[in-house]
Amino acid sequence: MNSRDKSSGLCSRRHFVQASAFGLGSMALTWLLQKDGLLAAPAMPDLKPRSFDMKPKPSHHEPRARAMISIFMVGGPSHIDLFDPKPLLKDYEGKKFPGELKFDNAGQASSKVLPGLWEFKKHGSSGIELSSLLPHLAKVVDDICVIRSMKTGVNNHHQSIYALQGGRISAGAPTMGSWLNFALGSQSQELPAFITLTHPEGGPELAERNWSNGWLPSLYQGVGVRPKEPRILNLDPPHYLKGSGQARQLELLRELNQEHLSQHPGELDLEARIASYELAARMQTAAKEAMDISGESEATRKLYGVDQEHTRDYATRCLIARRLVERGVRFVQIINNGQSWDQHSGLVKALPELCAKSDQPTAALVADLKARGLLDSTLVHWGGEMGRLPVIQNDLGREKIGRDHNTYGFTMWMAGGGIKGGMTFGETDEWGHHAVKDIVTHHDYHATILHLFGLDHSKVIYRRAGHELTLTDHKSARVVREIMS
Amino acid sequence: MSAYKSHPEVADRPTFLNRACDRTRPGLLASVLAWILLIAGLAVEPPSFGSTPTTPLSFERDIRPILKAHCFHCHGEGEKLKGGVDLRLRRFMLTNSESGSVLVPGNSAESLLLGMVASGKMPKGEKKLSSAETAKIQSWIDSGAPTLRPEPDKVARFFITEEERNFWSFQPIRRPQPPTSIPPSIGSNPIDHFLWEPLHQRGLGFANPAARGTLIRRVTFDLTGLAPTAEEVDAFVNDASSEAYNRLIERLLASPRYGEKWARHWLDVAGYADSNGGVSADSERPWAWRYRDYVIRSLNADKPWDQFITEQLAGDELVNPPLGDLQGDDLDKLIATGFLRLAPDPTGDEPADPDLAKNQVIADTVQIVATSLLGVTLQCAQCHDHRYDPIPQTDYYRLRAFFEPAFDWKHWKNPNARLISLMSAEDRHHASCLEHAAQAIDGDANRLQDDLIEEFVQKQLELVPAAMRGQVIAARKTPADKRTEEHKRLLGEFPTFQDQIILGEINAPGAKRVEEVRKRAAEIRAMKPIDPLVHCLAEEPGKAVETFLFHRGDHQQPAEKVAPGGLTVLQGLANDSALAPCSNSTRRTTGRRLQLAKILTDGSHPLVARVLVNRVWHHYFGTGIVPTLADFGMLGEKPSHPELLDWLASEFMSSGWSLKKLHRRILQSTTYRQSSVNTAAQAVDPDNRLLGRMRPRRLPSESIRDAMLAISHRMNTNMYGPSVPVAVSPQGQFVVGIQVRDKDGDPAGVDGIGGSEFRRSIYVRVRRSMPVGFMETFDSAGLSPNCEARAVSTVPAQALMFLNDHFVIERSTDLAERLRKEHSGDVRKQVDLLWKLLFSAPPSTEELQRSLVYLAEQNETLRAQAAVKTQEKPDLKAKPSAGEPDPSLQALASLCQVLWASNRFLYLD
Repeated sequence: MNSRDKSSGLCSRRHFVQASAFGLGSMALTWLLQKDGLLAAPAMPDLKPRSFDMKPKPSHHEPRARAMISIFMVGGPSHIDLFDPKPLLKDYEGKKFPGELKFDNAGQASSKVLPGLWEFKKHGSSGIELSSLLPHLAKVVDDICVIRSMKTGVNNHHQSIYALQGGRISAGAPTMGSWLNFALGSQSQELPAFITLTHPEGGPELAERNWSNGWLPSLYQGVGVRPKEPRILNLDPPHYLKGSGQARQLELLRELNQEHLSQHPGELDLEARIASYELAARMQTAAKEAMDISGESEATRKLYGVDQEHTRDYATRCLIARRLVERGVRFVQIINNGQSWDQHSGLVKALPELCAKSDQPTAALVADLKARGLLDSTLVHWGGEMGRLPVIQNDLGREKIGRDHNTYGFTMWMAGGGIKGGMTFGETDEWGHHAVKDIVTHHDYHATILHLFGLDHSKVIYRRAGHELTLTDHKSARVVREIMS
Repeated sequence: MSAYKSHPEVADRPTFLNRACDRTRPGLLASVLAWILLIAGLAVEPPSFGSTPTTPLSFERDIRPILKAHCFHCHGEGEKLKGGVDLRLRRFMLTNSESGSVLVPGNSAESLLLGMVASGKMPKGEKKLSSAETAKIQSWIDSGAPTLRPEPDKVARFFITEEERNFWSFQPIRRPQPPTSIPPSIGSNPIDHFLWEPLHQRGLGFANPAARGTLIRRVTFDLTGLAPTAEEVDAFVNDASSEAYNRLIERLLASPRYGEKWARHWLDVAGYADSNGGVSADSERPWAWRYRDYVIRSLNADKPWDQFITEQLAGDELVNPPLGDLQGDDLDKLIATGFLRLAPDPTGDEPADPDLAKNQVIADTVQIVATSLLGVTLQCAQCHDHRYDPIPQTDYYRLRAFFEPAFDWKHWKNPNARLISLMSAEDRHHASCLEHAAQAIDGDANRLQDDLIEEFVQKQLELVPAAMRGQVIAARKTPADKRTEEHKRLLGEFPTFQDQIILGEINAPGAKRVEEVRKRAAEIRAMKPIDPLVHCLAEEPGKAVETFLFHRGDHQQPAEKVAPGGLTVLQGLANDSALAPCSNSTRRTTGRRLQLAKILTDGSHPLVARVLVNRVWHHYFGTGIVPTLADFGMLGEKPSHPELLDWLASEFMSSGWSLKKLHRRILQSTTYRQSSVNTAAQAVDPDNRLLGRMRPRRLPSESIRDAMLAISHRMNTNMYGPSVPVAVSPQGQFVVGIQVRDKDGDPAGVDGIGGSEFRRSIYVRVRRSMPVGFMETFDSAGLSPNCEARAVSTVPAQALMFLNDHFVIERSTDLAERLRKEHSGDVRKQVDLLWKLLFSAPPSTEELQRSLVYLAEQNETLRAQAAVKTQEKPDLKAKPSAGEPDPSLQALASLCQVLWASNRFLYLD
């Protein structure tokens, strides 16, 4: 809940608040002044956090990415049916899988080989093969890097989600957005630096643990945004307090809270709550505008699919994600409901439906970012916590078949922010079961992302009770330079 | 210590609820050790598990736990022995495997065991042994691979070692002697003696006593979930008597508000909800509230917890049928079993796989029982032997077997079919007579309507040429989809006859007459006595339902039969040997749950009392003596003060399982009464595990809302009864109130409920799919299926709530009105009272001055704004009417709002 490092944080924060006692306008000004001042300050060699705040902080090296949009598809999209063609499976269709398999749901397991159910074709000048379920992604395939050798090796949803979100396979660790903001601070004075856009049909498996600050100070907690309007509640002050009335309230509130904090030195939760009021005050004007896509052109809305019923939700959220990134939000996560990509059964119907909802908006996001010159500095990620097995689960007729979990080899893709487009990376075995070539673990994935943000994963350290904690947990983690442009 | 440096999970790991079992938690064991080593450095009770560097390594203590976590699944406890290698005993390892010698004592280089783990070949999968673990194995082998004692000749597939049996939480609860030679200044409360010693060893002591205002605020919120009134603060602050504090405690414990606060804590762990959840329908559970009221009543009456637990597990076994005739205490016993009906239960809402859904209801119920009372992650053993704790899969099904006859999943009753009616025969007869009368009137209404329509049709027919009338009538009587082309042509010509005729459209006065008749039927129905129902679990006679272990947890794969029983590791400790058939001869039921209740409450169970007192401790100090409230197993954290925990547990039981006595003990301690500032202690022990100070604790969501209602003089203190409804506001938020709907049935607004919307939060409906926005934002209990410990978050949504939310604005205005009413015209006194109400202390001179300046400036701003508005609308220039906003009231309200938003209000100091 809180850390032990309380050194000079208090002092600088109080100074900051006192300097901005003239209300919101001057507050933003102070912030900007401090921002410049801080950037000029000597870099701390190990990024040791002297104070917990959201002020921008220098990176270790020149960053390629300034923001990230992670489209996290919980459940485990079937790489065999979408991204990773395996012709051999056709030859063995319906026959016994010759190797060893690890099942999650042994009760319904079979070892009958199930080839990809949809046709693969080459696309773009890169000739990357994608299944017919992803016609829109095919159009931007030259901008994405398809990593076919992902591996967490922990065969359950929870552990694998934890692994990809926070670098450990157990609960309680901070997620990537929290780490990035801890290391780099926020680029926006008006919006939370870490936002998750949730699905209208419900929260994801593990709920807000997908955007948890874990044991980092609660200042770095992700903000879950409602899936429907109003996406953020309570943005409108009562009419008579709008403007100077509320500014006066906030000023008094800051003074009272500072006085209270001074009587409770080192209580980071109290400090975080003070910061949350400052952010909330600014969000009132900024958040609504950022979430409002009504000003987007007809062409843009059409590109994403806002005009069609089945794509509207994803389209709107992808478009909002772009708007947030444009406004300086560091990390936006688009997440689905439950574990909706978890097709243990009913694959034939469910997978095309899921793709139909998300394919166009996702591809549009990449194309739109590129057209606006934002793709170079915005890292886009699409993928879930696992893939599927090359054999049938629930062998009760074509309508009912599905595939069980596979965390030993699966696919995700990334684009922009220094990622090389039009390439595939890594391979699974000829069955699509185990990653065998250029394996990318969750630690490698994290190390690579931090690298793109200009950070050395082993040097983004949070000190706590005598321990040096990192996102990659001191595990072997490789920056995958091969996929960088 | 450095070997363990990178595992943060434990110290701050919130207790999470995982429906699916979190099977592998790598490094968690190591991190537990790391954390313990750290704490050991803080001179709290040194850990008893894990070896210190000076103790020679042994198989049982050091090596086996590593192998159990990583390897036993395939090499010993699984169904097949992979590669013929069995790692459960040292001597098994001496037999050669398919690929060579597993273990060569004294020679780690020759031992496959080390080679496999060191090279990372084993275990398969991502999760490898840490270098510390590998190093441990190596030095154990090189030191000759010693065991502590001769290994058993025969072992079952799953067996429990002496080390596991000796694990702290499986030991009997003893009554440790409090440390002696405590300076007299510490007082006589044994709690303080246990806590003072480790502090003293670090050269620390308790913080100074908290200021009186701070103390009364702390204890009043802690016991009642409300702020003390200004009068109560004054009285306590000015009461110099040494008994003042004890009197305060007694007054609060006697208040009905006490039960409302502490019931909430139990309802969290019990997973209380007013809806069935599980699927999107989330149907309502309209009678669940009786259980909520039972909990409040029981706590206010200080019902001994052994009895309280017994009633909840087996109240139906304690009473005699017919259940519908029960009254008073006997009825309460039946209601108590609502505890076993709290799990999400979508079985009445057409779940996709009904059998799976039923099985899940039972599994969730078992999980609720295990986490609330046993403090073990038993649910991990639903599919396989527990990976870390000595809990075989059979133990899971042994516990389930206690509940099997009552749930009887092969003859399942859906939620609505289980309700028991308390209606008297007389009322039943009365209701049926009234229903008959109403139906007769309905018949009259229908006849009148038909007649009026027929009358209209006949009149219209006169306009149709006589020759065609027959055809038109035939066309009209033919259903729309069966009409011929000729029919359609005819009806096109005479459209009056096209569709179903609606009386209201052709004869409004006639329709009104029909409505009036119908209204009479409705009035009669409204006179029917309500059928009072009980949502409970009552085992039916003659159920000899067997329990089977489910292979891999799959209910479609029953394996061996399992009899009810307690945890194997506790055999010989908890009194579970006497599992004689204990059927209730009057009711001819199995009596199994009553037997379980006896096992848990007879005073010998090592977990139940420890788990309960630890929860109480957590509510007072923000952290349990065992921080993982629902996991007292190997992966849970160890107690910071094990002797204190045992003393409290034993004291609790020997004081008749009285929660109020436990409260007194804790509240009277120096520890509880100290201030939150102790610079020396904070520097050494920033986590406050040694409790050298109190730590600011944020109020729970219920206390925030309830205190705001009470302070603004809005609170409706009515107790008990059906839950207060929740509706969706035009702002898209779930709020307390009645839903107003538009003509399409869509939500169009929210109405008040005549003051019921201001009742305490515990009475607000817990609809799983409609969490009240204000409560959810401040971390109300998540229910999947129950809430072992709440999160405490700090997010901008909370700040926005205090800045702009309707509830906050309205309560601020209410409070401003109250202040003005009590101190009309005296702003200083208004501010003074405001401070006392929210902070239990008057403002300092500076604070008062600052507030007055604020009010003057805010007043000015708001007045100027109002003036501009008036100028814009000259027709309103006349003198302000009562309904118009008053800038000075708004200014005062805006000050109230700021204080409510402040950390000084939101945190208990």
